[in-house]
Amino acid sequence: MTDDAAFWHRIQFAFTIVYHYLFPQLTMGLAWFLVAWKWLHLRTGDPRYGDAARLWTRIFGINFAVGVVTGIPMEFQFGTNWSSFSKYAGGVIGQSLAMEGMFSFFFESAFIGAMVWGEKRLGPRNHFLATLGVALGSWLSGYFILVTNAFMQAPSGYAFAADGSLRLASLSDFLLNRWALIEFCHNQCAAIVTGAFAIAALGAFYVLRGDNGSQGRLFLKWGAAVGLVASAIVAFPTGDAQAKMVARLQPQALAAMEGRFQSGPIAEITLIGQPDVQKRQLDNPIRVPGMLSFLAFGTFHSDVPGLGAFPEDTWPTNIELLYYGFHVMAGLGTLFILLMALANLQQIRGRLESSRRLLWILMLAFPFPFIANTAGWVTAELGRQPWLVYGLFRTRDGYSAAVSSGDTLFTLIGFAGLYFVVGLLYVFLVGREVLHGASPGLEHA
Amino acid sequence: MVELWFAILCLMLVMFAVLGGWDFGAGALHFIAARNQDERRMLIAAIGPLWTWNEVWLVAGGGVLFVAFPRVLAISFPAYYLALFLVLWTLILRGIALEVRGLIDSGLWRAFWDTAFAAANILLAILFGAAIGNVVRGMPLQADVPLSLPLFTNFGVRGPLGILDWYTVSVAVFTLVCLCAHGASYLALKAEGEVYRRAKALTKWLWPIAVVLLLVVSAETFYVRPELFTRMADRPLAWIALLLTAGGTAAILTGPRAGAEARTFWGGCVFITGLLGSAAASLFPVILYSTVSGQYSITAYNGSSDASSLRAASYWWPVAFALSFVYFWFVGKHYRGRAQTSQYGHDPQ
Repeated sequence: MTDDAAFWHRIQFAFTIVYHYLFPQLTMGLAWFLVAWKWLHLRTGDPRYGDAARLWTRIFGINFAVGVVTGIPMEFQFGTNWSSFSKYAGGVIGQSLAMEGMFSFFFESAFIGAMVWGEKRLGPRNHFLATLGVALGSWLSGYFILVTNAFMQAPSGYAFAADGSLRLASLSDFLLNRWALIEFCHNQCAAIVTGAFAIAALGAFYVLRGDNGSQGRLFLKWGAAVGLVASAIVAFPTGDAQAKMVARLQPQALAAMEGRFQSGPIAEITLIGQPDVQKRQLDNPIRVPGMLSFLAFGTFHSDVPGLGAFPEDTWPTNIELLYYGFHVMAGLGTLFILLMALANLQQIRGRLESSRRLLWILMLAFPFPFIANTAGWVTAELGRQPWLVYGLFRTRDGYSAAVSSGDTLFTLIGFAGLYFVVGLLYVFLVGREVLHGASPGLEHA
Repeated sequence: MVELWFAILCLMLVMFAVLGGWDFGAGALHFIAARNQDERRMLIAAIGPLWTWNEVWLVAGGGVLFVAFPRVLAISFPAYYLALFLVLWTLILRGIALEVRGLIDSGLWRAFWDTAFAAANILLAILFGAAIGNVVRGMPLQADVPLSLPLFTNFGVRGPLGILDWYTVSVAVFTLVCLCAHGASYLALKAEGEVYRRAKALTKWLWPIAVVLLLVVSAETFYVRPELFTRMADRPLAWIALLLTAGGTAAILTGPRAGAEARTFWGGCVFITGLLGSAAASLFPVILYSTVSGQYSITAYNGSSDASSLRAASYWWPVAFALSFVYFWFVGKHYRGRAQTSQYGHDPQ
């Protein structure tokens, strides 16, 4: 019965955080496009940039609002659903969560209203500064959350207090955790991929539809160029560094991500296959020998331990999902690079706007970065299991014993219903903006 | 160090009560101070582009509770599980209503979100009041027994306790009226036209009612927790808070009659600050009061983080606190004076 309670607490947190993160990843990805367009508009006076920024600011505003309202429950769920964990680690992870509120939320919240509604009131220079403020604030917010996550993945800067709970030993070790720095680079580039794909998709839509062509061409050009660079950086060097870090600090997670049960040198990387945990093997695998050794440790002969090398009570608890999560992320990431390389090639040859098939693909590709980002986070969080704080505190010890599984199930269903309605509303409102398109000048509607 | 963090926590909550308070109060009066959709647009423009900044005081206050008093968070949040989710969901509804109301120029669309917005504000004002009532009344805390409170039992303040009883409901009603009065003072300062005139008239009624209700609630508090009053005698900070309350009371009772909108508004801010300040000064060091026995109460001392964690947090907190006002100043200077619905860039909200 206790496992049952832990299960529902986990599902609720997983559902609310996955849903929430659909919005901030687009916010963080779009933010720097807006800053760039506002800057170019300010410097050159070219109205195309002003119009582009205005259309995307309206979409950004809706997106940001949904991100804010779905984000508030996240912080409070540490207390309501994970109170044993909060009591154990509050002195440490409370730092980064409180810093997010104190440094980023005040920063973002002061500027977001002015950015979305105040173009006329603030004037061009201050409106640019407001946009810059929102961009900085949202990235800072992301950093504090990743510091929190990094502490759970690879605790650093802590010591034990007299009662056995954790206390902060070094603020700088905690804030500049190596895991946080690498994860931040990897994750923020992935957010830019989401933004770039959304922009390219809208560009493709406008060009295919045949109206709003000048905006469409601008979006295609920027989306494809930034999308290629960002997709490439997500893979190398940031994804590569992340994988090497996992290999070193969470060897069980790496073994499970690859469905690797036996240890040995010249470890092969799995392109396709299905893990069968019961039989301790990978069904119908297609593998490249030596690649895993090379990617994880830099030489083809490195010894990469399999799950068999570790006691079973330290294995990740859901090896299949972890394996699929990682392969979906890595597979999609590779496809993103190929697609955006092709789009840029056609752009350079001047044929992108006439390649209708490629435009269709770009238009329909925008959901996939959301899927890849989600799969990446599934990999990170399942790879951490069975620990809540890696090596220190187990997930099954962290939830609120005072809350019955029935109550948790009730609030989970409540969230599902509420977020379904919020999702419908979001699609409806963003859809309207997209169909409405960029209206020139300030005086419209 | 612990005393400092108790003070910081109280400061965060006072900031939320004062700044967020006028947004919630004005929102609760959405259908009373504003009678048609243009007037409601004016009311929302007066709440203006800084409503999220005001609400961040609540969220950041939760962060401060987390880092400084994790045991308080770990006991009280699960104990009030369903009530807290009611608060969170209502906050979501309120935020969505405020943001999307102006996006579509249709009477039905706006009427729907106006209703949702007003209802959410009224409910939240009541829930925040009930929360204060619960902190003052206390909860049946015992050693090693996870606490979980029902919504209500027999509405009594002795015996089996629920979240709602005659005392917490009275505090909730007082809070609703007080925030409505505060919201009306704010609208009298920021709105124009009919909204301004109605808000001004409302302050004449609502503040005196709030003061009368405060006397009632004080008498009730004396019945529920008499030691809070006797304790005030040897706590100078409580005297200062009481003086503030008295000064605020004088301002909110005389200001509306004299037509002095600024006096009423600032008087209301001081009134709320003084009330919460005197409550905090007399409750200290207890944060979660046990109705079973004093030894089970969670205080600032036994509920706080380790000293090293608190010390680290006191390095960065003042910086962030000061910075938050820089942003406020940068944006706020563009929205000085009375709200104008025609001056928004995209769609007059």
